[in-house]
Amino acid sequence: MEKKQNKRPSNFAQILKRMFLGGTIEHTVENERYDSPSKLAVKRFFRKPIAVTALIILIAMILFVIIGPIFMPIDLSYTETLHQNVAPNLSMMSIPSEMKDSPSSISSQGSFTIGVDKDGNVHTWGYFYTFSEDPEKDVMNIPEAVQNANIVLGAAGTDHCIAIGDDGTIYGWGDDDVAQYGRDGRMLGQYPQPMELINGKIVVDNVSQLICGDQMTAILMNDGTLYVWGNAMAKCLNLDSIYKAVNKDGVKLQKICFTNTNMFGISEDGKFITGNNKQYEIYRGQNTQEYIGNRKVVDIASTGDSIVLLLEDSELISLGAITSGPELPEGETIAAVASGSRHFVLTTVSGKVYAWGNGALNQTDVPKNLTEEGAADTVFASGFQNYAFKDGKLVEKWGLKGYLMGTDDLGRDVLNRVVNGGRMTMTIGAVAVIVSSIIGIIVGCISGYFGGWVDLLLMRITEIFSAIPFLPFALVLSAILQGSSLQEDTRIFIIMIILGLLSWTGLAKLVRGQILAEREKEFVVAAQSMGIKESRIAFKHILPNVVSVIIVSLTLDFATCMLTESSLSYLGFGVKLPRPTWGNMLDGCRNSIVIQHFWWRWIFPALFLAITVICINIIGDTLRDIMDPKSEVEK
Amino acid sequence: MGKYVLKRLGYVLVVFLILSLLMYLVYAMIPFDRARAEVEQYKTIYKNEPEKFEAKYQELRKELGLDQNVFVRYLGWIGIVPINGQYQGLLQGDFGYSYTYDRPVIELLSEPMRNTVFINIIATIIALGITMPLGIFCATHRGGKRDTFIQTATIIGYSIPTFIMAIVFIWLLAILLREGVEALTGLDINIFPVSGMKTPGSDYKGIQKLLDELHYMALPIIVMTVGSLGGMTRYVRASMTEALSMDCIRTARAKGLREQVVVYSHAWRNALIPIITLVIGWFLSIFSGSIMIENIFGLNGMGQLYIGSLNAKDFEVVLLIQMFYVIIGLLGNLVVDIAYGIADPRVRVNN
Repeated sequence: MEKKQNKRPSNFAQILKRMFLGGTIEHTVENERYDSPSKLAVKRFFRKPIAVTALIILIAMILFVIIGPIFMPIDLSYTETLHQNVAPNLSMMSIPSEMKDSPSSISSQGSFTIGVDKDGNVHTWGYFYTFSEDPEKDVMNIPEAVQNANIVLGAAGTDHCIAIGDDGTIYGWGDDDVAQYGRDGRMLGQYPQPMELINGKIVVDNVSQLICGDQMTAILMNDGTLYVWGNAMAKCLNLDSIYKAVNKDGVKLQKICFTNTNMFGISEDGKFITGNNKQYEIYRGQNTQEYIGNRKVVDIASTGDSIVLLLEDSELISLGAITSGPELPEGETIAAVASGSRHFVLTTVSGKVYAWGNGALNQTDVPKNLTEEGAADTVFASGFQNYAFKDGKLVEKWGLKGYLMGTDDLGRDVLNRVVNGGRMTMTIGAVAVIVSSIIGIIVGCISGYFGGWVDLLLMRITEIFSAIPFLPFALVLSAILQGSSLQEDTRIFIIMIILGLLSWTGLAKLVRGQILAEREKEFVVAAQSMGIKESRIAFKHILPNVVSVIIVSLTLDFATCMLTESSLSYLGFGVKLPRPTWGNMLDGCRNSIVIQHFWWRWIFPALFLAITVICINIIGDTLRDIMDPKSEVEK
Repeated sequence: MGKYVLKRLGYVLVVFLILSLLMYLVYAMIPFDRARAEVEQYKTIYKNEPEKFEAKYQELRKELGLDQNVFVRYLGWIGIVPINGQYQGLLQGDFGYSYTYDRPVIELLSEPMRNTVFINIIATIIALGITMPLGIFCATHRGGKRDTFIQTATIIGYSIPTFIMAIVFIWLLAILLREGVEALTGLDINIFPVSGMKTPGSDYKGIQKLLDELHYMALPIIVMTVGSLGGMTRYVRASMTEALSMDCIRTARAKGLREQVVVYSHAWRNALIPIITLVIGWFLSIFSGSIMIENIFGLNGMGQLYIGSLNAKDFEVVLLIQMFYVIIGLLGNLVVDIAYGIADPRVRVNN
């Protein structure tokens, strides 16, 4: 049992004392003290380092999936098309130190950012993935010609970059499959880069604006000349009508911007130019142009699906998905509006910064010190990050740092889904185990204690249930549920119950066997002779003696139920997407492209599931070892 | 013995009837009308005559026996009660009709059945070949460093679900290994094909066909074998440990028998009894376990057919495969008990 503390008698007097007076009381108690079985089991458990490690990891996991969703609530409808299959990285906001003092332009659409400093160097940071082996198609790989040139302007699309050198050369790199740059020959619906810009040069001092959209690029000159190229058929539907307005109607553009599918601008005389697009025609129930009236539009900015117009009297007009701007205090005047892919940022004349729009990736969480007067004079909003500068020095940056575990095929954060999926998997496992244990214990207890025809009947029922092939039957039942018009929550709840209903037979047989053995012992006879009710003997006297077996079985069953749930969900018969579980997160990962190139999509859910189940099994195994008196004897 | 087997067979029959009724009722609950699906093809013909269309629908319902009570339909499916004046059920050898494949179900099953049995038998034999020596080794070296290591490894082994193991093995063997070989030798060899049953377009015969199939099924078989190693090793080790602690072993050792004789003759014979249950149980669980494997690797097996039919709402196929699983389970239990009698003389005496 416990370590015996065999204190050798230290001197002759003590030996005499023990010989004639017996051991001291303390000594006897020390030697003969024994712990209750449960206390002993706990003590033995904590003497096994592997089991303790497993317990700590498991508790950490459980806390992770219980507390995690509080900080990372899941939005089931959330997707981010610009961040599909982003690898784990936290570099999306790590602006190079050269850029911190002298930024000339910062631009981004999706997961990577391009910046040009005042010395004419181009920097890229963030993450970009291409299937192509061709290094030229990797936008992060800045071509040598660009590195050697003195760049004045740069802009990034979703998969290409455009830069203008001080000699007027236009450089492009990245993907050029849909005429993002330099591709001559026109495919249907695509506008190639104009020949005079490929072969000739541009007058740099005349360039008013260089912007990139999704697979689109536009250069606007001071004299109103407009060059646009790229995948116009899909990404710039109103291009022809804008060209018409510029070339035929003599509209002189002053500023332009791209949304996901169109191009908009403001003219020199302050008109909002939409081409033939009618998406943003209505503002507050009124025709937008009429609402603006004679007031001049002085600034325009756009996200993928929204536009903000700044009027000369400092009124903001929000068109599209983002419907309302920030509340500005009395007397504030807006200096400039900038936009990322999903949000807007404005700076006021007094130097305060406000951000609004979709802040799902922290783009709109403006740091506290930027809400004070004179905090910043320029804010570069680029994609999902913001960099605030004052007097050419970086003051503060905020937005999306990156994804710790990458994103999946719909741009959802894998970490978020692992946390929320874990909660679902564990809940289903726990409920199923509770259901199966309740049934198993009751059936086993009654059957074992009462015996006779009750036992016979219950055991036959148990045998019939255990003859049902588990996985196929579970598949059929959930297929039935899918056909019905149940709510998703109810369906999941029923799946839990089904898992429980199909897996109680093992425990019932186990409990019955144990109770059969216990029933013959003296304490039961004693209880019976004292006239205690049968049911009380079965559940109050005998059951506690088999509780150790039940605990072990519970632990191991919990792991099994979690595995079953993930298998069902993996096959598409359990919890349905978009609701995540550790099983169905692996659903789309069956092909070798995902396995090889987007490893983060399967490795993290698989790892979490495997580690949790391994820990539970180690704990269950250790519990069985320490609660089994036989294993103790053998050692 | 003969009487015992007969009694057990009768019991199997009763349980089968109860379970098949249960299953049939469950399938009847599925909100799906076969007659409605079949009548769709007449929609263009009876475009302007809704009454005739409805009449056709009723006719089809009657033809399929859907107008009957579910219990009557069940008895008809078994073949005791005539449907539309004809006995056509399991007893008459009519196992149903697949509407997706437009063939009798029984014709549909032969190829998938062959494949499933093929991979299961190979995987189980390999797994047994590895786990039995390993389990005995662990039991005889109980508590040692190597035993502790193997024990931990087996826990990890049986904790990882099949689909994760499959993904990991595809990654290691079909992707990394292929890339590695390509980098070393410059040859792009498809060492472990990820999907498919045979070389596309090939028409091998005899031994070459078998080798080709083995080549294509190598990865699923490896995954299946590795997946069953953990649980099996633990089981063999546990029963061997139990056997080694018996009194007869102490006696055998006391009378000076060689350790090899003690372990392989005395202990092993005793350990074999629970292992028989394991082996047979394993064959059974592997039938439903291969649902995952077949689904992942796209093998044309019973599991794949099952899921495919379930998705296509081809319920006669599903029902029959389900019944096949039930029969396998029940007969398996019977075989376990008979095998017990053969392996364990005590059981024989009791009967």
